[in-house]
Amino acid sequence: MPAIRAASKRKPPPEGFSDLEEDLLVFSNKMKDAQNAPTDNIPKHQAQWPVFQISHQRSRYIYELYYEKEAISKQLYDWLLKNGYADALLIAKWKKQGYEKLCCLRCVQTKETNFNSTCICRVPKAQLKEGQDVQCVSCGCRGCASCD
Amino acid sequence: MLKSTYKPSPGLLQPLPPGWTEHKAPTGHTYYYNATTKESTYKRPGAVPVPMDPATSYFQHQAVPQINLSDPVVANAFMAQYTAPPPQQQQHGGQRGGFGGPGGGRGGGFQSRPRPQPVDKPRSKVAIPGHDPWILVYTKYGRRFAYNSAKNASYWRIPEKLMPAILELDQARIRQKAAGTASAEQEDGKATASSGPVPRKEQQQEQEPPQHDYDSSEYEEVEVTDDEGDEEQDGNAPKRRRTEDAADDGPVEFTEADIAAQLAAMGADYGDEYDGYDEEMDEGDEGLPLSDSDARELFKDLLNDFNINPYSPWDKLIEEGKVIDDARYTVLSTTKARKEVWEEWSCAKIQELKEKRATEEKKDPKIPYMAFLQEKATPKLYWPEFKRKYKKEEPMRDTKLSDKDREKWYREHINRLKIPQATLKADLKKLLESVPLSALNNQTMTSHLPPQILGDIRYISLDPQIRDPFVEAYIQGLGSPPAADERAQEEENEAAKTARNERRKREKALEERERAVAEGKRRQEKKLQFERHRLRDEERELERAMHVSKKGLQSQLAATVVDKPAAEVSAEKNREAIR
Ligand SMILES: [Zn+2]
Ligand SMILES: [Zn+2]
Repeated sequence: MPAIRAASKRKPPPEGFSDLEEDLLVFSNKMKDAQNAPTDNIPKHQAQWPVFQISHQRSRYIYELYYEKEAISKQLYDWLLKNGYADALLIAKWKKQGYEKLCCLRCVQTKETNFNSTCICRVPKAQLKEGQDVQCVSCGCRGCASCD
Repeated sequence: MLKSTYKPSPGLLQPLPPGWTEHKAPTGHTYYYNATTKESTYKRPGAVPVPMDPATSYFQHQAVPQINLSDPVVANAFMAQYTAPPPQQQQHGGQRGGFGGPGGGRGGGFQSRPRPQPVDKPRSKVAIPGHDPWILVYTKYGRRFAYNSAKNASYWRIPEKLMPAILELDQARIRQKAAGTASAEQEDGKATASSGPVPRKEQQQEQEPPQHDYDSSEYEEVEVTDDEGDEEQDGNAPKRRRTEDAADDGPVEFTEADIAAQLAAMGADYGDEYDGYDEEMDEGDEGLPLSDSDARELFKDLLNDFNINPYSPWDKLIEEGKVIDDARYTVLSTTKARKEVWEEWSCAKIQELKEKRATEEKKDPKIPYMAFLQEKATPKLYWPEFKRKYKKEEPMRDTKLSDKDREKWYREHINRLKIPQATLKADLKKLLESVPLSALNNQTMTSHLPPQILGDIRYISLDPQIRDPFVEAYIQGLGSPPAADERAQEEENEAAKTARNERRKREKALEERERAVAEGKRRQEKKLQFERHRLRDEERELERAMHVSKKGLQSQLAATVVDKPAAEVSAEKNREAIR
């Protein structure tokens, strides 16, 4: 018979989690809302934008707490990544020069796009025509080049 | 025409379609509501960006100045707003409809107005040298905007390329002013106006109705007077406008009515667009002592006072909006600056919390466990029984202690209970003696004993009813805390005192600043009232003149076009005649 671990026996989150608990709950609720929101009268490609946005914001939140503010321990940071509170691959990109503000991983994957190049949102504002308003189809990003 | 720089949604979000507004449910969720269709949804309604609904932009125009007062430029625009016409005035003559379209309000003018209103209006214009179709327009209330006469478009935010030329214009004007040349007409652009021989000041005095409570010396202070001709120009404005309207069958050139229409259209959203600085209007803010570091500290005070969680993301602070209505929110003028200070604050705050916890941890977690042992441990129970019986109690579950330690202390405590009381007392005395005077002295309260005592097994061996009087007696026999400790404490108090004083200073500076802004506003309102009085009086004046002689009036009006002071004088004469 497989051992069923009682909820009380599950290892508690590392120290410092309680500092973030409330805000993480807000993110989770927003995410649930975004996922459950009706998508009937929204263009198909836009339906997932809010989910991307919230996921981005939450990853950013944890990234800043760990790398910029040094507010949380490595132990807690790893635990958060392991438990899906932040996107480890996206954060890995942010640490690379030129990708500090990257919106999502899809926007740097050349294979998926029609033109075999990265997304329009990766183009620096300076290289766009003046007043040109861009918004990428994959995540709704309006520009995420590092130099903007 | 005017492109609003307002961005309804930050970052990645698309602007909401017209009619939709964003709201926050009590649960903290954002939802969207359409007032027209009465629809509401959690899903952000997406749509192709549509030109801003005038009603919405009016809303923004109302809302924006309240949150930006720290910027003198915006504060000025805010004050100027109080001189702007009430909303229904703006809609008058269909000018609102022209908003957003080319040549908006052309000819809408003032013809259909029942009576002149104290609306901000163009006072003068000047071609911007080297930028041909561009004209710089000054308004009566000291604002100014750039007008492209070729495109019939106006901008409160002066386009960058025009800046150097305008700067030169300003410098030239300041030089002229300094040289004391009465350069009104030159700069004023209304070349048709010629100053009559009548001393202007005197005339102004005559026009001033004696019955109103207006304090004229105060008026002088606020009135925008970069040239001497102002007051006279203003005084004549309504009459001149009437005559112009009468003769105006379709001017081909850029006229005052054109600019006025531009101004009216711009009035709808200048809260966002206004950026044209104006030295005269800046006066109210000059010499207000709010340094950059003061502003930063005030903003941090705000974050502290609202108990903002330093771990929370910036977006949350903004979404919640708790701090936005506080005056200290606007001491920093840009979101960027605010975010920067917030970052600095949250980093420092988190470090502070970490340190505090580190010291607290030294006390914990042994203390509650020892207290628990004293209360519950009994020689009747072996450790496994005791453990099972109290497994749900907090001190038994605390992860910072190992079960091995818990067991060790339990056994030790049970064993010590067999020792004679005299020995236990001696042990406790030894423990008390081991604590330095800085931590335990005659000022220590028995309820706040140092952690090194509370966490020691010797402290729990005696029954509290015997132990506590014993400890109290021991403490009373001790000396005062050592001087070194006192000094450290004083230093700490000193630091706290300095911090408190600095904070008071900052808050005072902010108060003064707000008072100055409010004062400016009050003056503007007074001025507005005065304008109303004056216009009403002039109206009456004209009506009376009309009664006297229609023919005479017509000739007067004709004369006004070329020579206003003359008209003024004959109006005076008419008044004499009535009397
Ligand atoms: Zn992007
Ligand atoms: Zn993207």
